[in-house]
Amino acid sequence: MEIVVKTDEIVFEYAVQSDTEDKTDETPPNVALDGVSISISKGEFVAVLGHNGSGKSTLAKHINGLLLPKEGTVWVKGISTTEEEKTWEIRQSVGMVFQNPDNQIIATIVEEDVAFGPENLGIPPAEIRQRVDEALEAVGMTAFAGNPPHHLSGGQKQRVAIAGILAMRPDIIVMDESTAMLDPIGRREVMAVARRLNAEGITIILITHYMDEAAQADRIIVMNDGKVVMEGIPNEIFTKIDELKEIGLDVPQAAEIAHKLRLGGVDLPRGIVTGDQLVEALVNVNRN
Amino acid sequence: MSIEIKNLCHYYGKGSAFEKKALDEINLTIEKGDFVGLIGHTGSGKSTLVQHLNALIKPQSGNIIIDGEDINADKSRLKAIRTKVGLVFQYPEHQLFDMTVYKDVAFGPKNAGLSNEEVDERVKSSLEMVGIAPELHEKSPFELSGGQKRRVAIAGVLAMRPEILVLDEPAAGLDPRGRDEILGQVKRMHETLGITVILVSHSMEDIARLVNRILVINGGKIVLTGTPAEIFSKFDELEAIGLSSTQTAYIMRDLQSKGFTLPPNIFTVDEAVTAISKGICR
Ligand SMILES: Nc1ncnc2c1ncn2[C@@H]1O[C@H](COP(=O)(O)OP(=O)(O)OP(=O)(O)O)[C@@H](O)[C@H]1O
Ligand SMILES: Nc1ncnc2c1ncn2[C@@H]1O[C@H](COP(=O)(O)OP(=O)(O)OP(=O)(O)O)[C@@H](O)[C@H]1O
Ligand SMILES: [Mg+2]
Ligand SMILES: [Mg+2]
Repeated sequence: MEIVVKTDEIVFEYAVQSDTEDKTDETPPNVALDGVSISISKGEFVAVLGHNGSGKSTLAKHINGLLLPKEGTVWVKGISTTEEEKTWEIRQSVGMVFQNPDNQIIATIVEEDVAFGPENLGIPPAEIRQRVDEALEAVGMTAFAGNPPHHLSGGQKQRVAIAGILAMRPDIIVMDESTAMLDPIGRREVMAVARRLNAEGITIILITHYMDEAAQADRIIVMNDGKVVMEGIPNEIFTKIDELKEIGLDVPQAAEIAHKLRLGGVDLPRGIVTGDQLVEALVNVNRN
Repeated sequence: MSIEIKNLCHYYGKGSAFEKKALDEINLTIEKGDFVGLIGHTGSGKSTLVQHLNALIKPQSGNIIIDGEDINADKSRLKAIRTKVGLVFQYPEHQLFDMTVYKDVAFGPKNAGLSNEEVDERVKSSLEMVGIAPELHEKSPFELSGGQKRRVAIAGVLAMRPEILVLDEPAAGLDPRGRDEILGQVKRMHETLGITVILVSHSMEDIARLVNRILVINGGKIVLTGTPAEIFSKFDELEAIGLSSTQTAYIMRDLQSKGFTLPPNIFTVDEAVTAISKGICR
């Protein structure tokens, strides 16, 4: 499979601010990424988990060249993000949906906001129209096309932000906690949109604190204190309950129930992650 | 005493082309010492409603009465009201403003006229409660990760020791341990100090294990109220308005449809483990 994102031992430090007088030489450097190597194949759906401050958003910003590594290299479709003349190409390939939609919405009307990206790419107006309509439809916001985005609720804004990215037709989409403010059905819809885009060949990198969303990925990357500490398919990762809890994480409720039942002596197979898998396994236990 | 909301309506952009009725004749009472969950789809009116509780938004019509006092009747009482009712905003960025994490959390207690020692004690204990390490105290709040900002914003409100704590999506952006620790902290404050808590959340799992009463809002109207057991057994009604029951509740429902004999009203992991252990043949 073609590798579309690759990082090689990247290190990143935020500059330590110096407006407090008592900052001394002992102030620890602000190391946000500490030797991160990942590689993501075309068409993969990868979830990134990690505690608050573990470096997920910093890593995401390296993938579209918004931040450049202090050490190591980031390649997007074979291009190093340090190649300045290719920055535009990289930003076009990698669409980012950030944590707070307020910071991404610029225009005063929803459809203009969604059109902003494709306009910048020089797409002809007729096609922009079509892309905007499709993108709004995909996130269920068609009815709000003519409204001012600043008058939308948190969750509604988040969907508009996703539509804005969809309209750019990137081949990699990084979603940095884009479902954090959505209601349960909204989350299901956005996850369904992400899976559908993925089925059409778009690579998805999903940063989330919702374990049940990570369970839907092909692969999970777990970060801790600026390092990648685990990688694997959901069924493997979510059996490491104690290790995950140790680093501030959790498992989906189905995996937790399965784990506790097993500790209580119920003969369940390992690797149960979703509700359906748990129900099926329990039906088998009862049959035997 | 309690919080009473009477005939509350709120329009955004009144008279403009985008006029939006965000709250539609809300009438409800929250008893002192209640732990109430407020759930509703995005845009249903939750944030608009809770911002009325500390007079951040004034009623266009209707009244907010807390412990018998109409909180908008006397402007000079505003500071006292805001000390009594602590509100954690949905977006922590909207709450943070000072140069350092420490100063940000100290602002409220200082403003309330506490001594330096008291302020220091409150700042440190509140930051500890939300899991912000001392190394971060002198950092700018704007140079924190998303979840770290959220924790600092919560600490700023806890430091005021409010009698009524209103949390608008406090766990969004928190990692699982942070979520459990902070919500656990809130639960303990509710139990030991008897404070009233109103929790707005899109996590049905958090609501199910924490609150004793749920208010469901849809299109600016309160459409259902009840205990977690009453609300989370209404799968179809919840889904029709953008919500759901808990992950565990769906598992229990599926097991029942496969012939398992299980007790009703199981919504949390531990209850499910006990019930399933009894319900399987061994
Ligand atoms: N602008 C900034 N300036 C200085 N330090 C920063 C800045 N942004 C983040 N950091 C620090 O870098 C580290 C990694 O932050 P990052 O935002 O990548 O974490 P994260 O894994 O995305 O966390 P969260 O789950 O809370 O969003 C943290 O210790 C954080 O305090
Ligand atoms: N400042 C504003 N101007 C105009 N309309 C607004 C404004 N803020 C909110 N609205 C509208 O009022 C309604 C209620 O919004 P509110 O923010 O109270 O919803 P919410 O239930 O908190 O949603 P969420 O779960 O997304 O945070 C929504 O339809 C929203 O579009
Ligand atoms: Mg982040
Ligand atoms: Mg809200």
